[in-house]
Amino acid sequence: MQARINWSFAEACDVSTSVEDVQTAFMREIRGLGFSFAACASHVDPLRPPQGAVMMVDYPRPWLERFSAKRYAHRDPVYHTAKKQALPFQWSDLRFRSSLEPDQLRILDEAASLGLRDGFTIPIHSPGALPASCSLAIGNDGVDPLKVRQAHWYAVYAHESARRILLATTPPERPLLSKRERECLMLIAQGKDDYAVSVLLGISEHTAHNTIRRAMKKYSVSTRMQAFVRALRGGEIRLEDVAD
Amino acid sequence: MIHIITAENRHLYRHALMEMHIQRKQVFIDDLGWPLNADSGIEIDAYDSEDAVYLIEADAPRAPVTASARLLRTDRPHLLGERFAHLCDGAPPSGPDVWEATRFCPAPGTPRGAARRSMLARMIAGIMETALIFGIQRVTFVANAALEPLALKVGWSASTLGPAHRAGRERVRAMAAEIDANGLRRVRVQNAILGPLTRFTPGDLVHAA
Repeated sequence: MQARINWSFAEACDVSTSVEDVQTAFMREIRGLGFSFAACASHVDPLRPPQGAVMMVDYPRPWLERFSAKRYAHRDPVYHTAKKQALPFQWSDLRFRSSLEPDQLRILDEAASLGLRDGFTIPIHSPGALPASCSLAIGNDGVDPLKVRQAHWYAVYAHESARRILLATTPPERPLLSKRERECLMLIAQGKDDYAVSVLLGISEHTAHNTIRRAMKKYSVSTRMQAFVRALRGGEIRLEDVAD
Repeated sequence: MIHIITAENRHLYRHALMEMHIQRKQVFIDDLGWPLNADSGIEIDAYDSEDAVYLIEADAPRAPVTASARLLRTDRPHLLGERFAHLCDGAPPSGPDVWEATRFCPAPGTPRGAARRSMLARMIAGIMETALIFGIQRVTFVANAALEPLALKVGWSASTLGPAHRAGRERVRAMAAEIDANGLRRVRVQNAILGPLTRFTPGDLVHAA
């Protein structure tokens, strides 16, 4: 499946000095993939975000007003699920829906009636940050499934960039990744699984798996995509390393 | 009906393809416990690409998906060649006129028994029709213990390529089926399929000069 490192997006995020600039770059890419709306945000009242909250949202205004007025940040099933799990989920996934209470299903129905019918949510767990996630809505024209992984890394990258600006910090200096760890993360970002990584790098599946776990541990992150994004932002994966 | 989806027309089927990938997650990972990757929220792997041919059964392009399957060229990376070669006594069949069929996926909630057998027979008829259109002479696949007997008696000429092996909780075996008009006729007759099931809707030829 297709996912590529979009260097100009990464650079636009890296040189941004305001969250608005990150949001602009992010929304442009997300729309380009075919998603209709996006909300990359901390799990707070979207109209009254506290200091330090990430709020890059272009959801329909009526929905945001309703969400705020009804204090849905406390009950929203998408937020609840994103808080509990590390991996992205689709709103029509039966496993997601079957765990919900009736009032939570009603929230999903209301969102659907205001243009948020189906989509993905990418949980974002970041040490020291408010609980957050990135939700991407699929509109009438649909989204090609081959674009989902690309959207995933844009979301994680945009959130990290917004956090950098809000905290006015530079990417933390971390222990360098080994060459093998970098290679593994680049393949992971392209959608390869442990087996494919092991074949492409001529190592065992077990070694591939452990190498990726080690890189995740170095960054204290819970998903492979986050580890990739940290490596990219920290300059450990560079343009010249990738032969496209 | 069964929609044939290729690189040419997949933009018309984004919703159906997305539904197929979420169904694959529900069926293969959540229900059957196959060790597949769903780390983007859907089941999608390195073999899913614009080059794959998908068969998706739905009454209309935006109607609910009732079943799906994936066809891969065998002169490109594919499962039997890369991951299941050990199931074949000889080299896995491959070439420009051989396809591999994978990810036979009944929609979640398809009743067991007759409904599933009928779905499988329709999908096999759809594979044969599609293969005939594309000039494919053989289709390989990996069958578990449930699929193998059905695949052997559905009406096409199918044979095993090697002994059964354990894969996780299942026993699987590599198989190949010949594609010809007589086989398709037998599949239709034996399974009360009255005529062609597949449809191909061409995409807009926006790039045509």
